[in-house]
Amino acid sequence: MTAVKLSIDYDAFEEGKRIETEIEQLSNSPEAAGVSSLTIGDWGQAYENSSEDAVQALVKHSASFPALRRLFIGEMGYEECEISWITQTDLSPLLPAYPELQSLTAQGGTNLRLSQLQHEKLEELIIITGGLGKNVLADIAAANLPNLQKLELYLGVDNYGFDGGLEDLYPLIAPGKFPKLTYLGLKNSEIQDEIAAALADAPILDQLETLDLSLGTLSDTGAEALLASGKIKGLKLLNLSHHYMSDGMIQRWKNSGLPADVSDQQKSDDEDDWRYPSITE
Amino acid sequence: MLPAERLIVFCNPGDRRSEGIQQARSRLGMPPAVLIPYAGLLLGQPLADLLEQAGYWPDMLPEQEQPLGGVSQQAGQRVDGMQVLDALQGQAQVNSPAPDRQPDLTQLAAQGRDSSRQSRLAAPAPAAPAPDTAPPLLRLESPGGSFETERALIALGAPDAPDADDSLHPYGGQPDLRPLSFKAAGALQDMPGVLHHPSQWFRGYCRLLARIQREAGHLLPSARWTNHPGEIAAMTDKRRTQQLLAAAGVPIPRPLKGSSGEAPVDYASLRGLMLSQRMHRVFIKLASGSAASGVIAYQLNPATGAEVAVTTIGVESYITRPPVYYNSGKLRRYTDSALLAGIINWLYRHGAYAEQWIPKSGAGGQSFDIRQLVVAGVACHSVARVSRTPITNLHLRSRRMTPAEAGLSEDMQAEVRHTAEQSLAAFPHSSVAGIDVLVGSTGRTYTADVNPFGDLLYDVEYHGCSTYEWEMKQLSGRNLAL
Repeated sequence: MTAVKLSIDYDAFEEGKRIETEIEQLSNSPEAAGVSSLTIGDWGQAYENSSEDAVQALVKHSASFPALRRLFIGEMGYEECEISWITQTDLSPLLPAYPELQSLTAQGGTNLRLSQLQHEKLEELIIITGGLGKNVLADIAAANLPNLQKLELYLGVDNYGFDGGLEDLYPLIAPGKFPKLTYLGLKNSEIQDEIAAALADAPILDQLETLDLSLGTLSDTGAEALLASGKIKGLKLLNLSHHYMSDGMIQRWKNSGLPADVSDQQKSDDEDDWRYPSITE
Repeated sequence: MLPAERLIVFCNPGDRRSEGIQQARSRLGMPPAVLIPYAGLLLGQPLADLLEQAGYWPDMLPEQEQPLGGVSQQAGQRVDGMQVLDALQGQAQVNSPAPDRQPDLTQLAAQGRDSSRQSRLAAPAPAAPAPDTAPPLLRLESPGGSFETERALIALGAPDAPDADDSLHPYGGQPDLRPLSFKAAGALQDMPGVLHHPSQWFRGYCRLLARIQREAGHLLPSARWTNHPGEIAAMTDKRRTQQLLAAAGVPIPRPLKGSSGEAPVDYASLRGLMLSQRMHRVFIKLASGSAASGVIAYQLNPATGAEVAVTTIGVESYITRPPVYYNSGKLRRYTDSALLAGIINWLYRHGAYAEQWIPKSGAGGQSFDIRQLVVAGVACHSVARVSRTPITNLHLRSRRMTPAEAGLSEDMQAEVRHTAEQSLAAFPHSSVAGIDVLVGSTGRTYTADVNPFGDLLYDVEYHGCSTYEWEMKQLSGRNLAL
């Protein structure tokens, strides 16, 4: 079992190196048959060039990667590209090309689509964005993923492409939509309180082990709705990490005995304004 | 064993740096350094007077050769320290601003005086000390940390300042834009973190360095510098630093410049060059800034025209007067073009430098660079500065790790040390600098900055020594660069 990451840094791209060539070279190498996890990092100035060439090459050479189970398209940090600037493409051609795939992760919401989201065996779908478009939410709502166990969506903010609302999320949590789902993450959202309130009594909680509402703007408002719910008691983990809840609310979670992660409390900007002198070193 | 040379430090006495040096010397059993306050120099006091006030033995100064009253000496006779102390007491009490430290300093004076007497009697020419007397060592410390010093330096950089020796300013011939008069600068109010007038501050600083060099050269002609004032000026101007590094063959992030070598001069030309040179991610740095002051990680999206900047620069905007820029401890993120144009034009007005943003290596959403101290040509203490943001300076809530903890292999650590040593070697008259080394994600190293005062690193040891202890042990006239 081998994990491989391919990426093209700025200089390499300027010198003419291309991701599709890297993928082809890997497909021709002896290790290709054993690659179980493949990560495509920066495909070269991803704020300008989309992942389309990478996707096409992966489809073209899929026969060379029979063991591939995990695929990550767009793993790059702020040192390489702003997440909200990563230009993606329609990733759905990958699914029929890799029928044994279990996990698909994509980072970057710009131009992202999953237009034909059908796969018998996919267990995990993770989409990391600074702003997820409602067209992608609609793609997921129309998906046929009978084996999906983990759905983790970083929804982001409208400034960076989140143009949806609760109405775009309801179809994802409709009963029977993903019958095997045990991990639901609707996170990194600027409407985290609304999402918390909408989920608090949703039937889908009955099948979940983990509800992940972390990294967003959750405040005491959303927390009250969750605490008032009887359904959260069945969760094994309620991830609320990185939040704006008050000290008092954090204490209530601790007293509740519920398996809630309330770490990484955020402060509002006003309290966080400090200045430093131009010390010279 | 040779007698340890006297160390004279130009500093803000009582700050962490001067205290660190004195503590190190005390722990090593070395006599305390003679501290010359920038405040005194900036008030116009001659260096000779300040040396005397600080307890430096006056008879070593060429134009002040009078014996101290009450102490008679003979050739080869060892003078009792307490005798001299008694004789000096009255005088020192008048002059010393810190009476609690006075006995140490006078005792020190006695020791120095003793050995210097011996050497002068042994050698016919006082200007050439005998081999057993080491000439004093001069060390410049950071002038930061005091608003009074900052204000006085801005005043000294004014067009109408009394001392206008710009010989150490790398770009001294280019006038500062919108300068403050000597009087206006002297009336500046202390507003925490506010960047009052960086280019004029730098000009004033270069003038102070030139004056110290002049007076020290006259009073202490045989003294040696740990870092030469001219090279401190060069290290404090990033444009000149990177130029010298490149000329010395040290790998640096590629500077942003046009095909005929032209550097950006404002927001418009910066964006034009970023597009024409296909360098869409740059660091823009205030030429004379330090401690991430005036640094912007700036990106321009060639496809959409969008821009985003992460920076330490905070802005207070006003309707009726120009904005005030300050050092924000919380990193700011700007996407508004009008605001960014204002900030970037302001930076360029004070002198700025733009270079390729090298993606730093890291893992798990964090990246790091290495602060590598080099002393007397050899890399010693190092710290990995690990951050979730593009700007890694330690006071900005970065985490500190050892390079190994940050995941740097032995080979790469050796490469970092080598790059840092190469970088200091580009300054042949300097013996101490903290070098900021980037390790690109592909394993190449680049020097991003050379900090002449980059040795204020706590809780880092090298062969059991703190940074100052190591420097005190390593730096003597015998192995200085100069």
